[in-house]
Amino acid sequence: MDDTRRTRTVLGVLLVVALAMITIDYRGGADSPLRGLRGAGAAVFGPVESASASVVRPVGNTFDAITDAPGERRRADRLERENQQLREQLRASRLDAGSAQQLDRLLGTAGMGGYRIVAAQVISAGQGFEDTVTINAGGRSGVKPDMTVMSADGLVGRVTRVGPTTATVLLATDLTSTVGARLEDSKEIGIVQGRGRRGVGDGGQTPLRYQLLDANAPMRAGQRLVTLGSQGERPYVPGVPIGEIVRIDRPEGGLTRTAYVRPFVAFTSLDVVAVVVAPPKSDPHDGVLPPKPAPSPSATATASAEPAGKASPKPSGKPAKGD
Amino acid sequence: MLNAPEPSATGRNLTAALVIVVALVLQVSVANRLPLPGGVTPDLVLLAVVALALVNGSLTGVVTGFCAGLAADIIPPADHTIGRYALVYCLIGYVCGLAATEMDRQSIVPFLAVALGALAGTVLYALTGMMLGDPRASFTVVARMVPLQVLYDVIASPFVVWAVLRVTRRYDRGDRGRRDRFSLPAARYRAMSGRGTSR
Repeated sequence: MDDTRRTRTVLGVLLVVALAMITIDYRGGADSPLRGLRGAGAAVFGPVESASASVVRPVGNTFDAITDAPGERRRADRLERENQQLREQLRASRLDAGSAQQLDRLLGTAGMGGYRIVAAQVISAGQGFEDTVTINAGGRSGVKPDMTVMSADGLVGRVTRVGPTTATVLLATDLTSTVGARLEDSKEIGIVQGRGRRGVGDGGQTPLRYQLLDANAPMRAGQRLVTLGSQGERPYVPGVPIGEIVRIDRPEGGLTRTAYVRPFVAFTSLDVVAVVVAPPKSDPHDGVLPPKPAPSPSATATASAEPAGKASPKPSGKPAKGD
Repeated sequence: MLNAPEPSATGRNLTAALVIVVALVLQVSVANRLPLPGGVTPDLVLLAVVALALVNGSLTGVVTGFCAGLAADIIPPADHTIGRYALVYCLIGYVCGLAATEMDRQSIVPFLAVALGALAGTVLYALTGMMLGDPRASFTVVARMVPLQVLYDVIASPFVVWAVLRVTRRYDRGDRGRRDRFSLPAARYRAMSGRGTSR
């Protein structure tokens, strides 16, 4: 048939186009000519996502609303819709109160470390194998690529791409994410790596993996991690809490030991986050970590010699804000 | 609908575009944020492409698949090589469109097609990642995620297919007035899926 020939031609052309795009984008890497397309995508879909996020914030119930059985009974429909609207309003106001609370805690955490932040809300999440989210703050709010993103509880990730009103954040749990980290109470440094989309392994309990650079350095379960800080404070600023070591593997003949880390942030339910637009003037060391359950107050003083005086006043203000 | 010289074609294209945009936005802002066990979420866009291809045939399937894939490649949180979803959805749209002609012969075809489309789409996407050496699509991750994702896709498929059919039916009803003047495959599919979703 003539129709199938046309279809096949179209299929062939589009497949070639897709393959060409893959090749160009893959070979081009960070500065591929197709980056403009992503920019256009952010400009077009960013506002749509923001709008839809504000509509569909009560996620679960929206699904119910969509999949509700279709009725011919118009009156019931109308009443239901009205009811839904009222419930949504009620929920929205409750959500706003919740957001305000989160924001309050966030400002407390950011203030402790001396970070300057832009607050934002997560509006969408990535598909397939990548662990990325979109936030509703972009270039117009002063967000730039390679800035640290944190929440009230700790490290979330870093900004990878910025649109006018939205930005894409690579979560710390993504397989391609590596963060320099430091054990609390010591100067032992290592690398925190993501374990794939929301930590597929281990029931999502430990979506991060920590590798200590010095194989003989002491490390034990229950120790906590903070970011080490990158060169020039980009992409990661120092002192942001990451998580707590849950268990340690010692592979046969391995040069490094691997620890599995439970993050402080609940990556499956991110809402209010903050982009650190200006790093702290001095490294906050362990000052931003929440207070320890078991008291060991002398530990922070031994962590480092000279900024100990700077770090010690912070823990005193912490218990009031932390919980 | 617009009173274009070819109302049915224009209307169908508009409906397809609308369905894809809605599916995309729902995908990133709702489905991907659902805290489902396993960290995997159903692929609504893939299901929408499959459904549109089954209703409208290969040509629509190919074009819709490509456009939907390209949009999924550039919609903000996306962070993979541009063109991967475009390639995969384009192929899936074509193959599922071929099944559209089989629809009036075998009544089980629609449900098989949706399940197989979900399986093929997920596996193909993982394969493109492996071919490009994407560290996220390493074999251990893929082996863990793909079965779960196919399961979620199959669970979500009746809802998405039903929604797509409802939108297209509403358009067709406004256009032609009568339900019994559908082209045969689409009518059969609609009847089938109506029976399927109403338990």
